[in-house]
Amino acid sequence: MAFLNWKIAGAAGEGIKISGLMLQKTAFRSGFFTYGSTEYPSLIRGGHNTFEVIISTKPVQSARTRVDLLVDLKTSTIASLPFPLSDLAKESGNLLTKNTVALGGSCALLALDLTILKQVITETFGSKDQSIIDQNHQAAQLGFDYALKNYPDKKLKLDTPKKPHQDKIMICGNEALALGAVAGGMKFYCAYPMTPSTPILHYLAANAQKLNLVVNHAEDEIGVINMAIGAGFAGVRSMVATSGGGFSLMVEGLGLAGGTETPLVIILGMRPGPASGMPTWSGQGDLLFAINAAQDEFPRIVLAPGDPEEAFDLAAKAQNLAEKYQLPVIILSDKNMGEGYYTSQRPPDKYKNRRYSLAPEAAESDQPFPRYLVTDTGISPRPLPGQPGGVHLANSYEHDELGYATEISAERVKQMNKRLKKLETILGGGDLIAPQLFGPKSAKTTLVSWGSNKGAIVDALPQLPDINYLHFSWMWPFPEKQFKALISHNPRLVTIEGNATAQLAKLIAQQTGIIIKDKILKYDGRRFYPEEIIEAVKKL
Amino acid sequence: MTKRVTTISPTWCPGCGNFAILGAIKAALDQLGIKPHQAAFVYDVGCSGNMADFVFAYGFHALHGRGLPPAAGIKLANHRLKVFVIIGDGGAYGEGAGHFLQLCRSNHDVTVLAHDNFLYSLTTGQKSPTTPKGQATPSTPNGTIDEPFNPLATALTNSAAFVARGFAGDIPHLTKLLVAAAKHPGFSLIDVLQPCPTYNKSRPYAWYREHVEYLDKLGHDPTSLEAAWKASLKTDKLPLGIFYQVARTPWHENFALLKNTTLKDSPIDNLDITAALDEFK
Repeated sequence: MAFLNWKIAGAAGEGIKISGLMLQKTAFRSGFFTYGSTEYPSLIRGGHNTFEVIISTKPVQSARTRVDLLVDLKTSTIASLPFPLSDLAKESGNLLTKNTVALGGSCALLALDLTILKQVITETFGSKDQSIIDQNHQAAQLGFDYALKNYPDKKLKLDTPKKPHQDKIMICGNEALALGAVAGGMKFYCAYPMTPSTPILHYLAANAQKLNLVVNHAEDEIGVINMAIGAGFAGVRSMVATSGGGFSLMVEGLGLAGGTETPLVIILGMRPGPASGMPTWSGQGDLLFAINAAQDEFPRIVLAPGDPEEAFDLAAKAQNLAEKYQLPVIILSDKNMGEGYYTSQRPPDKYKNRRYSLAPEAAESDQPFPRYLVTDTGISPRPLPGQPGGVHLANSYEHDELGYATEISAERVKQMNKRLKKLETILGGGDLIAPQLFGPKSAKTTLVSWGSNKGAIVDALPQLPDINYLHFSWMWPFPEKQFKALISHNPRLVTIEGNATAQLAKLIAQQTGIIIKDKILKYDGRRFYPEEIIEAVKKL
Repeated sequence: MTKRVTTISPTWCPGCGNFAILGAIKAALDQLGIKPHQAAFVYDVGCSGNMADFVFAYGFHALHGRGLPPAAGIKLANHRLKVFVIIGDGGAYGEGAGHFLQLCRSNHDVTVLAHDNFLYSLTTGQKSPTTPKGQATPSTPNGTIDEPFNPLATALTNSAAFVARGFAGDIPHLTKLLVAAAKHPGFSLIDVLQPCPTYNKSRPYAWYREHVEYLDKLGHDPTSLEAAWKASLKTDKLPLGIFYQVARTPWHENFALLKNTTLKDSPIDNLDITAALDEFK
């Protein structure tokens, strides 16, 4: 077989995720394409945690409903076969190596190379005592040998990949967002922990020194966004990340970034709500919130990467867009993408970022700088505090070109128009990303979706003849012209979304007048599986 | 003479304490020799925050209650700037109380001038966190029920390294405090007693003159936390001066990255993430 699904299940606190990641890495290093995903409740001990890994000789980017090989720590079985995990762990000298025994056993049944697993173990426990590494090596060996001896005929006949990957990495969406932002010149990351965006904070905090940035866990989300705006005003590329609840707290600050025209990148990792909702599950219910959240109207950019590759690229691009257009950029993520581990194209190692829209150096002056000068593009040159000749007021109140507060009707209209002009500038410029087409160009039916549904839909597509897929990663300002060009042959449109009211379809209706009648919607907190997309599309 | 103010005329009421505080700011900047482009002022929203239009220096007029976090962000981005926060008792101790505690504890190197007039004046005189118990205001017509917030004791309890109180009726003294606070490396709080002639009729200048006393004339030791606490709890008299000052590492000095450069000038035109990417191989 070219494809199988391995899964490990146990209680929270049993190391399910780390075990799953080790198995995935072993398969990835062997040259397989892999997709790893985890499900867990919002608690620290007990409950029911799982991590599953799709192992395939062909590219794969989504989970499957069918499990081929289940490691169940509770019943001490692998693929329903009795497996003395605790006894073998004891034999290794450390009862905590139960999972590693199971990984060794899994390697045998999957015909994976045990030496790769041992190398992954060494790297995973690298910071611990050598004795821990030795015990885990021993546990893996014991599990491997036990499976070979007792279940020689139970091996799954998985095709072997031709060669190991050269240009791929195994990375989750959150890590890709974090590293992409770094590549885009982010120097300050500020956050308050909130699932599913917390891993971004953990990754950046652990690597801040190596990556030359400052990371701050601030007092609350309001402090987070306002501190990042202060840093942005003073010239530092800054980013914050949160989920829907934290974003709700940040909304007044979002307006502040909009009104003062301060660059800022916000990652909104969506989860089911409202209120505290289902913290450790996934959803796509915040698209229209991200586009519309505001006191009054101001320009913003909203992006929705579908996988780590896009997450990296868009996080890097967001830093540049925010500075260039002097506005907030929101990146919509979710648990599926953020905590999904993909086999991803390795991005380039080196980045030459340039600065945008800054005022040129000048001599000292006793005149205020026209920070909000009306221009053709809506973008006004921005001096940074400390710069001679650039003294100005960035103002949350409506202001004139000099930044001073005004309530004069003509000035108000001038500044509103100037700010909103930036949307036209963006739509007419080269930064916008058109919806990406997968499948035959003039198919009879076009699936329309956005964000993390990409993987499941792309994986479903080969089994859906005469159907193509339009993937939106640039949500706002809405790429109307580009979208219309892609559906000029009038295909039947079907929207696929992780929310209850088809928010992308609403957005399309609002911007284009096109009504999408066919909807495949899921809002139970779970991901889309390719199987259910195929079934749902066939039923239409 | 260095230009310190814009051409816009202040919109404060006649007799407002803000005029005097602005005067002290001008004098302090002159004494410190800070040029307009070398200072960043963050203004909260309120009568005091309206100073944004009048001061000639880099400025950021923030949201109500949110003046403190942007100041911390500005200092982080460019620690060579002198950063001041113009904020009221409502913004600092009410809406922004969480940020106030955070800046005290983190020791962000900013000087906070809390214009404490014991009321929300820009919204026409409702109670503020510092309003004395029992005082009738438009939002508490039968008198406030709450005990008043004690900013100085709160700052001291939360490890603020420079805690002082000034009075808008004594510009030279307030100027001295401002100079000392700006020179202090790390967070500094000056709670400024500020008469509001329009809405706080019970506390005119004359009332303050009868109720203030000067710490330096009382032999106060500003290195003693215990003495500072005692002074901060006084209610019969309102002591003025530096209650407490101690050396603590400013927040931004905890980052090795900022030893030789500011964060805003930390290069982004030649980034190499090879090592970080290798961890995902």
